[in-house]
Amino acid sequence: MNAFANAEKKPKLVLVDVCKNFGGVTAAQDIQLEIYSGEVVGLIGPNGAGKTTLINLITGVYPVSRGKILFDGREITHQPTYKRALEGIGRTFQHPHLLDRCDVLTNGITGSDMAARKRGIQKVDLAKELPRLLACAGLEGINLSDPVSKLAYGQQKLLEVVRVLLSQPQILLLDEPAAGLNNREAEYVSALIQYATEKGIGVLLIEHSMELVMSVCDRITVLNFGTQIATGTPEQIQSNPEVIRAYLGGGDSDAEN
Amino acid sequence: MLQKSKKNPVSAMAMTAFALLLALAPVATSVYTVHVISVAMISYLCVLSVYVLLGLCGQNSFAQAGLWGVGAYLAGNILLKTGGGTLTAFVVAIAGTALLAFVLGFAFFRLKQYYFTFASIGLMTILNGVFMNWEPFSGGAVGMKNIPTFTFFGWQATTEQSKFYIVLVVCIVATVLIGLLFRSSLGRAFMAIRDNEMTADSMGINSLLTKSIAFAISGALCGAAGALHASLSGYLSYQSFTYNQSTIYLIMIMIGGTISPAGALIGTCVITILQEGFRSLQDYMQLIYGVGVILLMIFQPEGILGGGKALYERICERRKKAKAGSR
Repeated sequence: MNAFANAEKKPKLVLVDVCKNFGGVTAAQDIQLEIYSGEVVGLIGPNGAGKTTLINLITGVYPVSRGKILFDGREITHQPTYKRALEGIGRTFQHPHLLDRCDVLTNGITGSDMAARKRGIQKVDLAKELPRLLACAGLEGINLSDPVSKLAYGQQKLLEVVRVLLSQPQILLLDEPAAGLNNREAEYVSALIQYATEKGIGVLLIEHSMELVMSVCDRITVLNFGTQIATGTPEQIQSNPEVIRAYLGGGDSDAEN
Repeated sequence: MLQKSKKNPVSAMAMTAFALLLALAPVATSVYTVHVISVAMISYLCVLSVYVLLGLCGQNSFAQAGLWGVGAYLAGNILLKTGGGTLTAFVVAIAGTALLAFVLGFAFFRLKQYYFTFASIGLMTILNGVFMNWEPFSGGAVGMKNIPTFTFFGWQATTEQSKFYIVLVVCIVATVLIGLLFRSSLGRAFMAIRDNEMTADSMGINSLLTKSIAFAISGALCGAAGALHASLSGYLSYQSFTYNQSTIYLIMIMIGGTISPAGALIGTCVITILQEGFRSLQDYMQLIYGVGVILLMIFQPEGILGGGKALYERICERRKKAKAGSR
């Protein structure tokens, strides 16, 4: 998706001057973010930059200290987490949060259950969609009646993405979906992201694997110490001196000269 | 079809077989044994209420005997003071207890995790105090006497055997309904909260409302058990509805296992048999429970059912391997 297309459409999710302080620590400082349907926005930055905090602010796990969050033009800043989820904001967690004591199938059904709870959305045809998504995630071989605790770590993370996709979100927040995954499993992550964008879902991707970020993202925004230091296309970000400084460290004078 | 895949065919079959066997009990045993089994089935309903709350929704309550008492006194009041029939008493006991549990749940579940459990201990104490002191409602310390037996359209259940069948039917209906709950989206919402409340939130589940509904369903089961108890024994005393009784329900489900209603059934049977078989050791019963539960939690935290399931799976796997080897 290019900039001209964006200009005609309204963004699905907008963050306006979002700030978050934990005591004296600033985890988010005047964050501006727009996510359009069908695009992938990368959110990168060193550890502790406030990336996961931003997801928790968007989903309402933490209340914002200042600023506004708009979904479809409506303000959702003070809505509880479950209502935002019903609006259409789906997320995954850095460590897989599945129904540990249930089997694979039940975990899948909980995703389509959620779609059924939303107003005005047709329940997905699970019998058709689940096998399709599982194949997309490289999980077609697993036994649906196995407890999820039997799955490997990477498979659990992929299954979590499958579940959230079954819930038919409009915005999908992925928190390091490829962390801890091998190269093949990471390819399934990009396949699932492609599946999401084809369905018109706007994706916010937090990820440390630059290979994945640079290959799937339309735009990238970089956080450091809670501040947005750059936003742009993958090419612009790769050549941005401030980003290089944040990642590689080094004094100001070194980088400027 | 995907959604029709059965979760626990073995335990469902075993429970059906058990219910059939139980239905023969009045023919084969003494009146006393029939009465004991009826009382045990009422306990089973309360343990089933713990299954819904703890096994499905992950919330631990020490107030179930109190809710059981609410149901019993509600039914007693309908039968004695308003002249209502058994069916009216049943409906009022179930709806009243469920409503009370829902309202209290809505207040209590603002507390997270085990703080709800603490609140439930307080609730149990208060309810017991109310039963002991609120004379117009409960008859106070004297209790409630001469509660009429089950009557349906002019027919009265006078024998132990006929009362037994009424209790059995209620238990079977309750078990089937809870089985349906397990397969419903509400049941899955309970399990999502049990396994991870943060995930449940992120899946659009209103956890406060959902937990309150779980507490209300457990209240409805306790209410039904209370109405059965009122007409079965004909006498209600505040001494039945104690914290200790709530603890026994929890012990029963821990021994049986929280993974399915069958766990509630197994736990109720084991404790009832222990209580009846070792009447001479009654003074040591608390000690036996205590040590038993500690040992169980160390060696088999999922209860007898969990242990049995693990064993069954191991046998299946071994068979599979043997088959693969013989080829």
